Amino acid sequence: MTTPTTTAPERTVSLREVGPARRGTRPDEVVIALSPAFAGHFTRTIVDVPHAEVLRQLMAGVEEQGVTARLVRVLDTADLAAISHTAARLSGSGISVGVLSRGTTMIHQKDLPRLSNLELFPQSPLLDAPVFRMIGSNAAQYAKGESPQPVPTRNDQMARPRWQAKAALLHLKEFDCIEAGRGPVEVEAVFGPGTTG
Amino acid sequence: MTTTAPRPTGAAGKQSLRTEILEARPVNLDGFVEEWPEKGLVAMESEFDPAPSVRVEGGRIVELDGRSRDAFDFMDTFIANHAIDVASAEASMAIPSAQIARMLIDPGVSRDEVLAVTRGLTPAKVLDVVKLMNVVEIMQGMQKMRARRTPANQGHSTSARDNPIQVAADAAEGALRGFAELETTLGVLRYAPLVAIALQVGAQVGRGGVLTQCALEEATELELGMRGITAYAETISIYGTESVFVDGDDTPWSKSFLAAAYASRGIKMRFTSGTGSEVQMGNAEGKSMLYLEIRCILMAKGAGVQGLQNGSISCIGVPGAVPGGLRAVAAENLVASMVDLECASGNDQSFSHSAMRRTARAMPQMLPGTDFVCSGYSSVPNADNMFAGSNFDTEDFDDWNTIQRDFQVDGGLRHVRENEILAARNKAARALQAVFAHLDLPPITDDEIEAATYANSSNDYPLRDVLADLKGAQSVMDREITGLDLVKGLESAGFHDVAENLLTVLRQRVSGDLLQTSAVLTADFTPLSAINDPNDYAGPGTGYRLQGERWEQLKKLRHVTSSTNPETEVG
Amino acid sequence: MSASPPPELTAADYPLSINRPELLRTPSGKPITALTMDAVVSGELSPEDLRITPETLQLQAQLADASGRPQLAANFRRAAEMTAIPDAEVLAMYNALRPRASTGAALEEMADRLERTYSAPVCAALVREAAEVYERRGLLARPVADPDQ
Repeated sequence: MTTPTTTAPERTVSLREVGPARRGTRPDEVVIALSPAFAGHFTRTIVDVPHAEVLRQLMAGVEEQGVTARLVRVLDTADLAAISHTAARLSGSGISVGVLSRGTTMIHQKDLPRLSNLELFPQSPLLDAPVFRMIGSNAAQYAKGESPQPVPTRNDQMARPRWQAKAALLHLKEFDCIEAGRGPVEVEAVFGPGTTG
Repeated sequence: MTTTAPRPTGAAGKQSLRTEILEARPVNLDGFVEEWPEKGLVAMESEFDPAPSVRVEGGRIVELDGRSRDAFDFMDTFIANHAIDVASAEASMAIPSAQIARMLIDPGVSRDEVLAVTRGLTPAKVLDVVKLMNVVEIMQGMQKMRARRTPANQGHSTSARDNPIQVAADAAEGALRGFAELETTLGVLRYAPLVAIALQVGAQVGRGGVLTQCALEEATELELGMRGITAYAETISIYGTESVFVDGDDTPWSKSFLAAAYASRGIKMRFTSGTGSEVQMGNAEGKSMLYLEIRCILMAKGAGVQGLQNGSISCIGVPGAVPGGLRAVAAENLVASMVDLECASGNDQSFSHSAMRRTARAMPQMLPGTDFVCSGYSSVPNADNMFAGSNFDTEDFDDWNTIQRDFQVDGGLRHVRENEILAARNKAARALQAVFAHLDLPPITDDEIEAATYANSSNDYPLRDVLADLKGAQSVMDREITGLDLVKGLESAGFHDVAENLLTVLRQRVSGDLLQTSAVLTADFTPLSAINDPNDYAGPGTGYRLQGERWEQLKKLRHVTSSTNPETEVG
Repeated sequence: MSASPPPELTAADYPLSINRPELLRTPSGKPITALTMDAVVSGELSPEDLRITPETLQLQAQLADASGRPQLAANFRRAAEMTAIPDAEVLAMYNALRPRASTGAALEEMADRLERTYSAPVCAALVREAAEVYERRGLLARPVADPDQ
């Protein structure tokens, strides 16, 4: 078999808890809400996009629009809509991005019904770095009161056959990381070394 | 795309050439997992499922499947209070499961006789019964127990760009091909009003009387229904555990209230459930997929809805990944029918790369017939299917029609000649153009109409100004546009027949005839339901048979050599 | 509406729109046969005319009972009561029945309102049952709102 090639060390991220998440007052912020196992028990999405990359891209997309990204971890649920909506209600602009460990993502707004959303990215296997950046950028634009073109949704009808059962398994594991009764906590992303530019 | 790259084998040494070929087969791109019964990742044979039991005291069920009333969760409470017939429960539960299973397949036992027993059964008892049945027996049971005698089919019409003209044209073609119901949904939720209008208009062009729905968040879907822009609702989801139901932001009581809300406006509806949803949402409480689905089915029964969409639906990859999963899926359709609910039986979500597997999966519904063999055959190419892909799409139409002809089975569709299809698509696009003009929505151009007539997918249409459309969609809601406005628009633009078709569909709200079990509207606008078209199957030569004029219709395919003149094809 | 007792229907009367159209009226009292294209074009018809009446729902409930479907009939009877409730309030009540959306007191108030304002005892009973179950299962809203949540 081929000899293993040396690969550049991959950037890592851990989430340092700062304190209980409070409602923001600045209108130029987007809250990015992470699921219980994100950058903790799990370190990459279902298609092996490192969580460090996911965060980097989301935050860069937000910041490119001149908006601040505030990170929050939701602990008492692994449900994307609940995570995203909780974050939207904490966000000074009312806009949030929710992300599950396997990569499923949603842009939410505090006045929408919990099961509605501004944009939904349900097919986690189809989300890669450029898409996460666009999601961050769109969220920031919504925060500024703009109406961006929705991020084009790729549609792979074979994602379910290949990945659905694995996604179910990953979700079961994420579910095990739920801490019932704990409110959302504000976190700071601590990026580890890596040469990915 | 991530899903098409073959897995590297990585084996040391020489590999079998045959293995290489097998590794590259589409079926090996599908996802398969080991069972994990403790977490509910098991189809229907789990030692963690409860044993059946019931105890009645003072006219109330005080024990259900091993749990006493003070320990009931809200599913147990709802099922005990509303679903199970208390008067007959103890007697029915005492009948050996094998005997009930035999009743299901015995042509000498009528559907009504079976229902008299099933109305008193608990979830665990129902599971006990169907566990005794192999897939052939399940199909045999389905043939007798489906509610409506005549099988039908449901299609999806959506667009990867949420392009309303595409949705209208594909709805018209789908209706012409035979779908009795058509469903749409959105990539961008805010596009809903325009897409729902397009679906309605397109359907009435294709075949007056087709019923349409737009799958959305619950309250929004009800609002569109109330306005007459859609004719029925289906994606009103229920779940088999209390925790997952709550995560879905509902309870059996809120869903029952919602069901009555639809009926109070004369709008047909059904619930949706399916094996695998609870484990996929992370909390199956250690129970098998089918046990939890049976709880859903009984909850639906208790709520008094006329029917249920099930057959795993969007979770099909989960039972599809475990042993016996598709047997469980066939069983859940049977259970819905054997408790006298209309069953829209899945086959609506992609679950396999293998054409063989996709076809096999549908046989337990297609061969015996169900109320809707597919609860969403994609009447658009799968790349445009915004339900994340259906088990069948437009490329399968000719295969489907061929299989109907091969087995002399009515799967609800038929072959239609190209000129008819083109005419319908063109008319649907023009009708929608007229409606958009009447409603002051962003215009539809003649280029778009030409594209719609000959198109296959959303790539074949000019791009629309999405932001302008979204503003238009919002104004539809703000101005409280209703189905009546669509009728006026169509009539004033000269589309008299389409306007009349839509008015006739809307008029049915006043009668409530479409609220009954398994109701559809025929091409001559007669409500057809389990009341006036009851399934009277009683063995060979009885029940619905594909024969006569309908059979002649289904003998037609794209290319059939003429026997009077073998150098030509039958036209 | 007529004061005579409702007709007794059997399954043979279904579908009403074909077999018994004379029994069908709109909420404004028009017969179903008046819902013609001419009436649409002349502006005589409003969206309100394309709604079902409580009387018709009671007839459909009879048909459901006659075909051995008591839960379906009960659904239609709840629906008959709900015809009196305006659209926006129906949606509000549905939302109020969702998990942790309402306190016990709010649900009791809603049940009262259903009974007193809308003469809807069957719906009220459903709401009261929900309130009792939600309390037992921890699905009522907490009465005091936390400003940080």
